[in-house]
Amino acid sequence: MSRLVKKSPSVCTDLPLNTTELCSKLQLMKELLRSSYGPTGRLKQVHNNIGGSVVTSSASSVLLQAISSSQPIINLIKTSILGHIHRFSDCGLFAAVFCLSLIEEAKQGGLRENVVIRVNNHLLTLCTDYLQQEDCSCKVRLDFCSSQSLVTLARSVISSKPTCVLTEPELVHISRLAVQAFLLTVPCNIPETVRLGRTVTVPLEGHSVLESAVFPGLLLDMPENLGPVHLCSPLCMVLFSASLAGDLSELGDGRIEMHSGVDTDSQILDQLLQLGKQVLNDEVKLFVCQKVIHPVLQHYLRCNGLIVIERLGVSLMEPLIQLSGAQPVATLHTNIPSTAYGRVHKVSIKQFGSKKMVHLQPAGETAVCSMILCHRNETMLNELKLVCQKTEHVLRLTLREPCALLGGGCTETHLAAYIRHKSNNEISKSSSVLGCTQTEYRLAAEAFCRSLELVAMALEHDGGSSLIDLTHAHHWILPSDATEEQPECVMRFCSCGAVESCQNKKWSYLNTKYAELSPAPLQTASPLQPTVLDSFTAKMNAFRVAVETANLVLDVKYVIQDFN
Amino acid sequence: MLESVIINRRRHVGLQKVSALGGTVRSSIGPDKNYKFIQDETSGEAVLVGSCFRIIDNLELTCAVGQLVHETIRAHHKEYRTGTGCLLFLAGAWSRVALDCLHRGISVKYIITCMSEGIDICLDVCKKSSVSIKDLSVIQKCTQDLGLQRSEKPIKPNQETPNVREKCLNMSAQRKLKLSRHFCETKSEMSSTVLHPDAPDLPDVAVMAESLSHGCENAMRLAVQAAEMLLKMNRQRVSDRLFDISKVMTCVLPALPEDCSCVVEGCVVLLSDEQAAVSHGLKQRPLKVALVTGDLSQTYRHPGFKGLSGTRVHGHLDLSASSKEDEWLDKVLKLLLSLEVDLVLTAGLASPKVIQLCCRHHILVVEKINPSVFTAVTSSTGAVPVSYATQLTEHCVGHGVKIEIWRDLGSYERKSLLAVNISTGGEGGLVTAVVTSCINGKLQALEDQFWACVYRLHHALKDGALLPGAGGTELLCVHKLLEQAEHRSKTGSDASFYRGLVFQLIADGLIDYITAITKGTQARTIVRKQLQDFHRDEIIAGKFLQLVLESEREDAVFSAVKPDKAPAVKVYDNLSSKQEAWRKALDLVFLVLQSDAEIITGVVQKTEENLMQL
Repeated sequence: MSRLVKKSPSVCTDLPLNTTELCSKLQLMKELLRSSYGPTGRLKQVHNNIGGSVVTSSASSVLLQAISSSQPIINLIKTSILGHIHRFSDCGLFAAVFCLSLIEEAKQGGLRENVVIRVNNHLLTLCTDYLQQEDCSCKVRLDFCSSQSLVTLARSVISSKPTCVLTEPELVHISRLAVQAFLLTVPCNIPETVRLGRTVTVPLEGHSVLESAVFPGLLLDMPENLGPVHLCSPLCMVLFSASLAGDLSELGDGRIEMHSGVDTDSQILDQLLQLGKQVLNDEVKLFVCQKVIHPVLQHYLRCNGLIVIERLGVSLMEPLIQLSGAQPVATLHTNIPSTAYGRVHKVSIKQFGSKKMVHLQPAGETAVCSMILCHRNETMLNELKLVCQKTEHVLRLTLREPCALLGGGCTETHLAAYIRHKSNNEISKSSSVLGCTQTEYRLAAEAFCRSLELVAMALEHDGGSSLIDLTHAHHWILPSDATEEQPECVMRFCSCGAVESCQNKKWSYLNTKYAELSPAPLQTASPLQPTVLDSFTAKMNAFRVAVETANLVLDVKYVIQDFN
Repeated sequence: MLESVIINRRRHVGLQKVSALGGTVRSSIGPDKNYKFIQDETSGEAVLVGSCFRIIDNLELTCAVGQLVHETIRAHHKEYRTGTGCLLFLAGAWSRVALDCLHRGISVKYIITCMSEGIDICLDVCKKSSVSIKDLSVIQKCTQDLGLQRSEKPIKPNQETPNVREKCLNMSAQRKLKLSRHFCETKSEMSSTVLHPDAPDLPDVAVMAESLSHGCENAMRLAVQAAEMLLKMNRQRVSDRLFDISKVMTCVLPALPEDCSCVVEGCVVLLSDEQAAVSHGLKQRPLKVALVTGDLSQTYRHPGFKGLSGTRVHGHLDLSASSKEDEWLDKVLKLLLSLEVDLVLTAGLASPKVIQLCCRHHILVVEKINPSVFTAVTSSTGAVPVSYATQLTEHCVGHGVKIEIWRDLGSYERKSLLAVNISTGGEGGLVTAVVTSCINGKLQALEDQFWACVYRLHHALKDGALLPGAGGTELLCVHKLLEQAEHRSKTGSDASFYRGLVFQLIADGLIDYITAITKGTQARTIVRKQLQDFHRDEIIAGKFLQLVLESEREDAVFSAVKPDKAPAVKVYDNLSSKQEAWRKALDLVFLVLQSDAEIITGVVQKTEENLMQL
């Protein structure tokens, strides 16, 4: 008897952005991400409510991965921001908050969507063109002759995640380490193609952050029964990517047919021991396997004086290949070609607290380094690890474009002022090119600028007010508990630290209308260096992603959902 | 489709939860701990818990904050085995500080800055008031001579000396006067100890033990025995000076009175009937030993081995599972006999068939052996651990392990029990603390107490310093905090006024802690009074400690805790454990304070408030 199940029809939602349900969900998402933004952002506890592990974080990569919605539009935004994070690591929350603000402002303005989209695109080009200019005054060139600006950049990234709970000296220490690790991964002797090395992070719970350190070479977990280690140098090593556990894992789901009485286990073991014999004859001293090594083979090798390390894990394979020059052996059924062997210059044992690790140092210069990260508890250590990996990525991006943007919201307020000024000057030309009225153009531009300013304001979470100064258009924060009449006494520097307050400085609250201004460039001879910097490459891309995603969302006319 | 749900917590429920959890351990801190029953309502089962770690471990905390608390407590317990109560209590107290500040409208950012400064002051006090172990042994050796001097500085007439002497005279003249390093006598052994400051090369464990027992005298007695035994056994090994805790094990014996607890050289294990018979034949001669890290059974495969899944066997002569096992048993037995192995120790389990078969051939198989026993046997006999029994060769077998019948326990639950002692002899030997109790439910708590004492001694030797205990350090911190608070409030500006307020609240938390550990109802007023006196007097740490000591006595009277004997021993606390506990407590508060929402990725009960679907 066949049964017929009635299919429910697909549901088509017309103009989804006009439904209150989606609007309130977008607002919730914005509030969730906005409240996590910046060094004083609030943390979120992500868990499954049935006793699974709890992750405390304010990182966009964690938060966005955790949220999922029945609304395809929310998932679309999420995926597009995650795509950005995947490529650039930084500025995920910026992109998300900016994108959601653009959508919200456009809805509130009540303009036609296609006008908003065209104006947004136009203003995006205006922004990116300006930021690319040599004399852009919210951009600083990074000086690779000194580590100062790199440390500042690293410090800005690390301090943006309060879950790390770092004190000032700890923050300085970790920022320096991040830069040190980055510099170690840049090879000195440049052949034709430059290949950056790797930093391997080793988290170590229960120790003070100040005990974190960077070592050239690789640190591997020490096997329990290492046996006597003869640290002769340099030594020959072999690296297996195939499992040597004694099964045929490369077989997958395939079927084997065999005669009864065949002991496959012992036959494979014989094969393994054969392998061991060859390795021994070739005078290999270090035997490493990505997966499990059969205990009998381990025992055989150890008895013959080899250092055996199993369960290396896939993430350490690439660094070890770079360090030793070994070719990973993917099968146990052929002889190992001599070209597959690698060399390690020095093997030693290092102890960190109760943890012992094997330290492999390269024969030449290979740009692989290990970073031991310590923190008092798991939650803070996890976030610290995440942040350090992000910092490494951000520092690497500086090699592509050796500049950075002013942080602390100053770039956003500066850009908003610049765009207001620029678009006002060119209003008649632009509106005719874009095919809209001057009023429409003005309103759309205002929405764009306000969205930028909202991102800057999102950095403050403790009730303080966001201000803009009327000369350089930088971002200033007036604390909520400030009682003094004169703002210049409370606010000594702008958020990025490049502008100092003085007697005749004028400010305006960010959420009020202020006189249009053309932001003045920073004095080049100024002794003040910005203390907060953002990644240039990541932020440029975040701008594009935010605007393009917002435009796409504004362009959606129908949502068709299949509920079967 | 899964939808994430966000709980917005405007009322700082998280801090309230931490505060509530902190309250549950109030009676589980300090020297007089109360036991608690934790009952499972569905099954009716109950456990008896005596420490903060066990309370949190046995409560099923599913909420996010609960898990954070559990994670923190677990991490601290793993490293220190003591101080988790202090951690959780202070986390609770300081959560209330944060809540209080929020109610007064102080911003989160500012609360964090001020509380961090507060804890820095406290940690600084710890650093300054710590007593080095060397000084401690000097102080403890002093007898009731009353010519008190400050030991650190050159001897000079001190204004307060007569005052202190007077106080001491008021006390029983016989009582030992043990204060801090600031007070030492001039005569008697002083000269010799000062002249040879390095003379106590091996720190006297027993000296510290008394002051670190914190109400667990019996457990501490065992811990001291263990430490001294290890020290004696490994006297020539420099690395073992610091009480190597990896060489200590415990064996829990039910149905024996508590005063049967003792420390034994070697490794004590319980054996069943059959095994007992074999061990009688093996006692008191050097044995050949094999070490197996895996399970002793035919079906065991090393972790990571997947086997062949898609095999199809041709032919009909397939061996059944049972005959395969017989074949394996035969092979193993032949191998063991040919290697003349007397004793097989396995870290995993051994199948009953193997045990039986080996027993018949006078080979003793003992399962579930602690890895540190393997290390000890390996280093003393040269045995090499293998994963599979079939892997054994002549070279892997060690020689020289001895077995003694430690005690015949008669029958327990209709099974006869025999405790045997496996001793490795030679260097790297082990000691076992045998923990006994007639009450089964109490065994866990007693074992925990033993480990707490062992770790306290271990960390004391490792740190090389101790802190004044019984609330002494906390009281010093309170004083310092209040002093700073007063200083700030004088400067006038708003910012420093809040700072002063936060310091005061942190100090209140510490006073609450002192009250809780001394269990005195009037402790709070005494502390207050002392602090007042303290302000009038010249501020000298030594004088203050004197007051602390006095407070203990007074308190003992007030709370009627052991009224017959005033504490004769100065109490000390571990330095690193306390510092870490404080730091971790504050970290916990900061993480919870800064969290404003939960994202739930799984299924949600609709009963919760403030849910928002995304």
